[in-house]
Amino acid sequence: MPELRKDPVIGRWVIIAVERSRRPKGFKAPSHQTTEEDCPFCEGKESQTPREIFAIRKEGSAPDKPGWDTRVVPSKRPFLRVEGNINRHGRGLYDVMSGIGAHEVIIETPKHIGNIADLDETQIAKTVTCWIDRFVDLSRDERFKYVLVFKNYGTAAGAGRVYHSRSQLIATPVTPKRVKEELFGSKKYYDYHERCVFCDLIHQEMESKDRIVLDFDGFIAVTAFASRFPFEVWILPKEHNCDFSRMSVEKRLYLGKVLKKVLTKLKIGLEDPAYNIVLHTAPFRRKKAKAGYWKTIEDDYHWHIEIIPRLGSPAGFEWGTGFYICPITPEDAAQYLREVEA
Amino acid sequence: MTELRRDPIVGRWVIMEMDQPMTPKDLHMAPHHYEDTANCPFCYGNEYMTPPEIQAFRNPKTEPNTAGWQVRVIPNKFPALQIEGNLDKRGLGIFDLSNGIGAHEIILETPYHEKDLPDLELGEIENVLRMYCLRSKDLQKDKRFKYIMIFKNYGSGAGATLDHNHSQLIALPMIPKNVIEELNGSGEYFDFRERCIFCDMIRQELDEKERIVTQNDQFIAFCPFASRFPFEMWVMPKEHQLFFHDSSDSDIASMARILKEVLAKMKTVLNDPPYNFIIHTSPIDGEERQGYHWHMEIMPRLSRIAGFEWGTGFYAVSTPPEVAIKYLRDARI
Repeated sequence: MPELRKDPVIGRWVIIAVERSRRPKGFKAPSHQTTEEDCPFCEGKESQTPREIFAIRKEGSAPDKPGWDTRVVPSKRPFLRVEGNINRHGRGLYDVMSGIGAHEVIIETPKHIGNIADLDETQIAKTVTCWIDRFVDLSRDERFKYVLVFKNYGTAAGAGRVYHSRSQLIATPVTPKRVKEELFGSKKYYDYHERCVFCDLIHQEMESKDRIVLDFDGFIAVTAFASRFPFEVWILPKEHNCDFSRMSVEKRLYLGKVLKKVLTKLKIGLEDPAYNIVLHTAPFRRKKAKAGYWKTIEDDYHWHIEIIPRLGSPAGFEWGTGFYICPITPEDAAQYLREVEA
Repeated sequence: MTELRRDPIVGRWVIMEMDQPMTPKDLHMAPHHYEDTANCPFCYGNEYMTPPEIQAFRNPKTEPNTAGWQVRVIPNKFPALQIEGNLDKRGLGIFDLSNGIGAHEIILETPYHEKDLPDLELGEIENVLRMYCLRSKDLQKDKRFKYIMIFKNYGSGAGATLDHNHSQLIALPMIPKNVIEELNGSGEYFDFRERCIFCDMIRQELDEKERIVTQNDQFIAFCPFASRFPFEMWVMPKEHQLFFHDSSDSDIASMARILKEVLAKMKTVLNDPPYNFIIHTSPIDGEERQGYHWHMEIMPRLSRIAGFEWGTGFYAVSTPPEVAIKYLRDARI
């Protein structure tokens, strides 16, 4: 009998096909793009990208020259542009504003390596530092409300032709809908229980252990109870914190370790699948904001990372309903991932 | 420069590329290719390969589960939900769950393996639509169900697992989230203005004429202002109607005409792309929601949804609707 499960934060139902649970081998992982000879993201090719915004470099090296560990550049094909005013207006029934924002690419290694799982944890920690530095810098721009850090790995996950490990961030002038749903869901839970729903979730997962993939160094990786996708994994800091940019240098290294471990398990267990990573953190909080709008956010929200392997493509039913059909239970997925040696 | 547009019903923002919109050529579609005609369980003569039929339009004096049908409905062999049992909702700590009660049916639109919906005659399309209505009305009697979703996945890029054309119906014990958002958005609008937001949208589209693909006496097809996908189209009855399954014979005839035209245009312009369509109609939980208006959403699957879209629910669209309709309007079919 299939099972319907409700995401406790935003209230989305998913269908989990309990009995038809396919063995992980049953999924065909989409193949990656081939290696490119003229990769613009490799060390020595700095002139092929727009000028860098930020970099972690060896002492004495100059911007846009070799000698970096991680490097942040503006996107060559930005979804949103940084210059201009927001200019909100109406067109009859419809609301419009100009496409203001920032779209940056974080190059995670000077070497031609495609999967972040193959970088060492100190290198991944440097990527985390880039995310944080850019996040803090963009928070000073009053036009922006939110920054999404994300990653597309493999063409099936929407990555371009270039095979070089990178993440992206986009600053938006509005709080995105999906994030808002999470924020409202957490606030509602907090208003009633006076507890953080994510902290409660962590406690419950640690008690049942059914869905735990990893648990060490202050982070927990679990397969989501109401997974939308097979092998969907969430990484959460065990200590309550709504804002990822406050992470200490030490914790960044721990996060690097956990990310490496989880992504390596996915790579080995699912034969190098395409995947997306998104980081959900609290939106920028400014005095000007509507009084009381996010009054309890410090206590009610909890930042986390969602990893979605792209093993199948959602079809009409999922688009139309927002109701996902997941062909494997998260309990089976977690067990499988626990057993993968990484 | 891009433009941000907000869907007036659910409040979702999309990013629209205005300066360098992608044209159908940029979208590089490989045309749909039919395979596996020999052992198709949905073809004439292979009726024994499917579960027994639930309902069919067939030639007089033909037996169920034999050849001689025009439209045939069967249970899904691998249903996402199962029809037997009582709904059992329960909690598990902070989590909520329920057993997977529901109906999952396959509607075979034609016995011909290599014909998609727009390749059929108008009368045949009418039969398909009529069958959608009949199945909906039948399942509506089951008090366990709150929502009926009719949809189609065409091509493997849109999630179809079998080649032979078919649409699907799923009856659900709860109202799905996307529909709730539409119901809430249109409900609030109705409470404040005492008008239907979809009717207002149709009025504005008819006024501006910038996004209309085609229309007839009873239906309009347009590319929505805040499209999530390039070449997304919505088909709507011009008259305010809550339930798709209440469509009259003349509604069905008009809808068949507009659907054939719109799907054929899409096929020509985008080189037979994979697509999904879904019918959004009012829930069948007994409540009457005056602010809602049923419609069909058609989404060609041209772009991949990546991390940004998943993480934010914010879509980036490379072809604005005003550009898309230029191609669709001029398409020769």
